[in-house]
Amino acid sequence: MTTFVTGGSKCGKSSFAERILTDFQGRKVYIATMQPFGDDAFEAIERHRKMRAGKGFETIEKYTDIHEISLDADCAVLLECMGNLCANEMFSSEKINSPAEKIISGIKHLSDSVSHLVIVTNQVGGDGISYAEGTAEYIRVLGEINQSIAAYADNVIECVYGIPVLLKGVFPC
Amino acid sequence: MVMFTGGAYQGKTAYVMRNFNIDESDIADGRSCNIEALKTARCIKNYHELVKRLGDDCISFTENLCKSNNSAVIIIDEIGCGIVPMEKSERVWRENVGRCGCIIAANSETVVRMVCGLPSVIKGGKS
Repeated sequence: MTTFVTGGSKCGKSSFAERILTDFQGRKVYIATMQPFGDDAFEAIERHRKMRAGKGFETIEKYTDIHEISLDADCAVLLECMGNLCANEMFSSEKINSPAEKIISGIKHLSDSVSHLVIVTNQVGGDGISYAEGTAEYIRVLGEINQSIAAYADNVIECVYGIPVLLKGVFPC
Repeated sequence: MVMFTGGAYQGKTAYVMRNFNIDESDIADGRSCNIEALKTARCIKNYHELVKRLGDDCISFTENLCKSNNSAVIIIDEIGCGIVPMEKSERVWRENVGRCGCIIAANSETVVRMVCGLPSVIKGGKS
């Protein structure tokens, strides 16, 4: 099963995503995609670590190439977050990459192998600002990835100030 | 009238084309189209960009359009979900898009908000 959780920044989507897997009895894996660059990233990572503490997740840090992750059918996985993964794939080399296909096939591979995959993504592009080329392309690519994963996922939920709004499927918790 | 909204790149136009039997030739692009073409277009996309082009005339234009082309499908980005900009022209544009969007929504029997390519009907029943 695949559950896709979206929403704006600080909308409570991470804690909701964790809640989905609270009662899962097997191995729980957290795939962290955020690279620890700068104070803000360290703070966010520390906050999310504290939030997960005692909830039985083991953490895999994987900033790009999620298709390389190999996990068994007894696992439940929380991948956070698609916004970071997309940025890492796009901007990690000299030229800007187009990672949509690579990420989507990586997600499908992961989803096929594990018991329940929960993916947290980010809603961007709702502020009407005309950004410079790289950022504008990022908004477009993340939008494309989000649409593909939402079409593929069993459940899609948007969080609004911590309130889960069902867009597709059922609430898996 | 039917209105589609949501942030940028949420699959609005693709969804409208799939579900309303509309192809590229039926769509007027608010960013660049001839203003006359809007009166008969089956679908108008980027209405938020049209608002920028129309400037102060946008409110009366939108009110008239809702009467003269009241079977159109209007696609307008939701652009107000950010910090209010410092630049006055940007502020005015956002306000105008908000006002025009409210007029279109009030005149639409159905309003759909797209997130990640998924529709939520937020007014009316048919999508």
